[in-house]
Amino acid sequence: MGVATATFVESFRGRDWRHFDLQLFLYVVLLIGFGVVMGYSAGFNEAATGGGMTQTVKTLIWAAIGLTLFFVVASVDYQWLRTLAMPIYLVVLALLTLTMLIGTNLFGAQMSVTVAGLDFQFSEVSKVLMIAVLGAYLAGRRERIGRLSTILVAGALMAIPAFLVFRQPDLGTALVFIGILVGMLFMSGASLGWMGLMTAAIVGAAPIVIGTLQDYQRQRLFCFLDPSADPQGACFQLVQALNAVGSGGWLGRGLTVGGEGQRGYIPVQSTDFIFTVVAEDLGFVGGVVVLTLFGLLVWRILFIAWQARDAFGMMIAVGLASMILFQVLVNIGMVIGVMPVTGIPLPFVTYGGSSLISLMFGMGILQSIRMRAHKPTL
Amino acid sequence: MKHPPGEPMTDLNDGRVDLHRSRARFIAFSVTTALLLLVLGGRLFQLQVVNGDVYAGRAAADRTVQVSIAAPRGLIFDRAGRPIAVSIPSWTVKVRPADLPEADRLRVLARVAELTGAERATLRARLDAFSGSPFDLVPIERGVSREAALLIGEEADTLPGVVITVEPIRQYLDETGTAGGQLLSHVIGYTGPINRDELQALEVDGYLRDDIIGKAGVEVSFEETLRGTYGTQLVERDASGRQLKVIETIREPTPGTNLMLTIDADVQRLATQALTWGMDVADVSQGVTVVMNPQTGEILAMVSLPAYDNNKFAGGISTEDFNVYLADADRPLRNHAISDIYPPGSTYKLVTGIAAMEEGVTTANREWPTYGCYQIPGAPDGECLYDWNRKGFGPLDMVDAFAKSSDTFFYQMAVETGIDPLADWAHELGFGQLSGIRLPSEEEGIIASTEWARQQGRSGVFTGELAQAGIGQNVIAVTPLQLLNAYAAVANGGTRMKPMIVRGETDLNGELVETFAPEVLHEVAADDATLQTMRVGAREVITSGHAYNISDLDLPGALSGKTGTAEFGELTDEGTLPFHSWFVAYLPSVAGATDAELAIVSFNYSAVVPGNVSAEVVKYFLQLYYELDEDLRLDPNDFSLVTAN
Repeated sequence: MGVATATFVESFRGRDWRHFDLQLFLYVVLLIGFGVVMGYSAGFNEAATGGGMTQTVKTLIWAAIGLTLFFVVASVDYQWLRTLAMPIYLVVLALLTLTMLIGTNLFGAQMSVTVAGLDFQFSEVSKVLMIAVLGAYLAGRRERIGRLSTILVAGALMAIPAFLVFRQPDLGTALVFIGILVGMLFMSGASLGWMGLMTAAIVGAAPIVIGTLQDYQRQRLFCFLDPSADPQGACFQLVQALNAVGSGGWLGRGLTVGGEGQRGYIPVQSTDFIFTVVAEDLGFVGGVVVLTLFGLLVWRILFIAWQARDAFGMMIAVGLASMILFQVLVNIGMVIGVMPVTGIPLPFVTYGGSSLISLMFGMGILQSIRMRAHKPTL
Repeated sequence: MKHPPGEPMTDLNDGRVDLHRSRARFIAFSVTTALLLLVLGGRLFQLQVVNGDVYAGRAAADRTVQVSIAAPRGLIFDRAGRPIAVSIPSWTVKVRPADLPEADRLRVLARVAELTGAERATLRARLDAFSGSPFDLVPIERGVSREAALLIGEEADTLPGVVITVEPIRQYLDETGTAGGQLLSHVIGYTGPINRDELQALEVDGYLRDDIIGKAGVEVSFEETLRGTYGTQLVERDASGRQLKVIETIREPTPGTNLMLTIDADVQRLATQALTWGMDVADVSQGVTVVMNPQTGEILAMVSLPAYDNNKFAGGISTEDFNVYLADADRPLRNHAISDIYPPGSTYKLVTGIAAMEEGVTTANREWPTYGCYQIPGAPDGECLYDWNRKGFGPLDMVDAFAKSSDTFFYQMAVETGIDPLADWAHELGFGQLSGIRLPSEEEGIIASTEWARQQGRSGVFTGELAQAGIGQNVIAVTPLQLLNAYAAVANGGTRMKPMIVRGETDLNGELVETFAPEVLHEVAADDATLQTMRVGAREVITSGHAYNISDLDLPGALSGKTGTAEFGELTDEGTLPFHSWFVAYLPSVAGATDAELAIVSFNYSAVVPGNVSAEVVKYFLQLYYELDEDLRLDPNDFSLVTAN
């Protein structure tokens, strides 16, 4: 308790801010800015009815809240997450169960809970909280990290929230949980042999999971193998997305001009399919800029992980890196037809308060880790 | 202080050894990240730079869609050039489900119901019943008033997803040019929204989901002609199917062909008036009158009562209205002139007479005894069939027997001729087969024959049945149109014409531009002398026989015809059978001539007054048609004095 009070007081003395990681902050702000501009472009046609502007304003408000949260979290020593790991885990389970019970219906899935008029998707913040929970567990394994039990317990810890999210049904987010688990286990130093075996087992079980999917989920999942299978039905989104991306060419059609997206060919374009707008409006060059920004961001997070003061900080950082990398791969992969269509937001760029707030919370923790990497050992 | 990589760290909390930080795994993670992002970049390069043109082309193609342009439906005129089926604008309220948020649904439908006067529940039911794409327009209320349509248009901002469309619908006019769907409903029929089965069959022909199609009468039998050819245009649309603008018209629509009926709406009115009067005074609930030109087969009037109002169908009939029609025991939706079959009674003696003379059973002049009751050959003694005249007439030849309508004479003719030759001659005169008139739902009728008996699981027709077939009873059933056409064939000298309902094609003003040629169906294989005998007999029916009451009309010709009384159903409390009454006639210039240009049949279902109400109907019609000043209609109580079997 004394430690927590001490760090809290310290943060107000501003000593740590000398180590504020400007690069991390820069990449994040650039990506958010990209998202605001792209969201505005995507919704431009609906501006007449208030659609484009309203959404942009909302995004800016969310970004402001996110930045505030970022600085608040950064100012606090991240150790509180470790102290509260168990309660946090229970809160995650409670929130996800709550979502399942009283969630509002969005595109046929119960993914959010409306509190005070604001839709909040608990599954988003759950991802970040689970990184902390898992980080606390793995960091505590120390010399026992190489045992099979590490993988089993970590898997079990992650399986419950992943299952709850899967049942919403939100297959995409459930997969992100698994991506995070794999990334963190790998970086924790868990046994590669056991991990390989577990992976083989999961791959073997995949057909069973696929069997429990709804028809529409399954069809959408396999569209990427052959989009022409059902271009008007299940694969409509993907076919349109490919057309939009392809239309971009080298330099794109220009902001708010891109035709394929503007007229609403691609459902949920300002959310999961936002990258089609980037690719169509700004072309290959724009796409590469976004990919590069994500590459730099992940590299920077790995750097923070390497520099972290303790294993807990390192685990949180690699967890966040895994999450962002996984989401980028699946989201962009999906709109360019190399990954199944699952519905995962593109970090920072996709319009959506829950996602942005959760990410900024995560970035705040990273900043906190970074700022405290140089702290002398007590 | 930096922690040397690759070495255990000290835990901040309790000083124990922390996790090992593996340089190799950090490198592996970084390299993997870089590789995966490179793969994405490569794929992006392939999509955008290498194949960009392909996708851009597809994207452009996806943004346009070919849309049908409805062709205006052909108009229908009567033979005098009066428009009787025209198209008028109709306002339809439609909903695009995708644009109507769930939360606003009840409010919006309630407001639409308020503005249109429709039932809220009905609108909701129609919307709920729709199962297509949420981007399709679902018609929820047709035929709303112009005022309601304008009001909905003004409130468009607060009624998301609601669209008003103007569509042409049919309006059916009577002979005065005012809306009057009762006059010609059985001939013209009506149009209505295409149903699922029709759409399935006709989608290949370019029919659309919300298309209008002929459902009855000429509207369906000439559907292809009236519909015209739909055009096509290329329209830019958004992904939800909203059409943004027309890019180009690929093919202009060809308007449907305008048609002229053979029917004269004035004559139709007179025939309706006469039949309505007759049915009223005789308390009959179903009746038919058909007027035709025997030389060409053109139908001048075709009345089937009760009629229905086809204007109710044009705008989409309400379930209540439709159920009223369906529940009516007199079946107003059926054209009794062609879709129902009845025993023809004595009118059928024309067939028996021709068959007997052609088969050599008798000659025109040979006399046969007649009886009060005819002993059925081979049946036990006393098992006999009565003549309507229980005293018998004494010896009669063909003409007299036809004029007096002696049943026992024609029993003998039938029995001597045999069932199959009798059936053959019936077919020769067009019975037992479709007349070929271009109207839907025609019936063939029943003509007894050995084969017919076998189909019923019997070895043959009983002799008693054969005798009854000779007077059109029991085992014979015909449509009023078949009967008229058989008499018309005799009247014109032996040519069976195909009954015509459409005279030709017209321009928009109802001027004929192409006349359809009358079509000969069959030359009746009977001797001229035989037919002449029957024509003389038919004239005798009017001058000295059963219908002599008609002869007091001052007509421009020698009206000839035959009455008929056909018993059917079950015995009444008085021990008699209910009966239909028939009268069929034609008007040649002089007796026996083959130049008649007017033939008429009238049929009254289950007449309850004695006598022949159908003959009275024809008489009244002729009085009206020839504009005779003197009203010679009889008091119904006097019918029995002058006409009978």
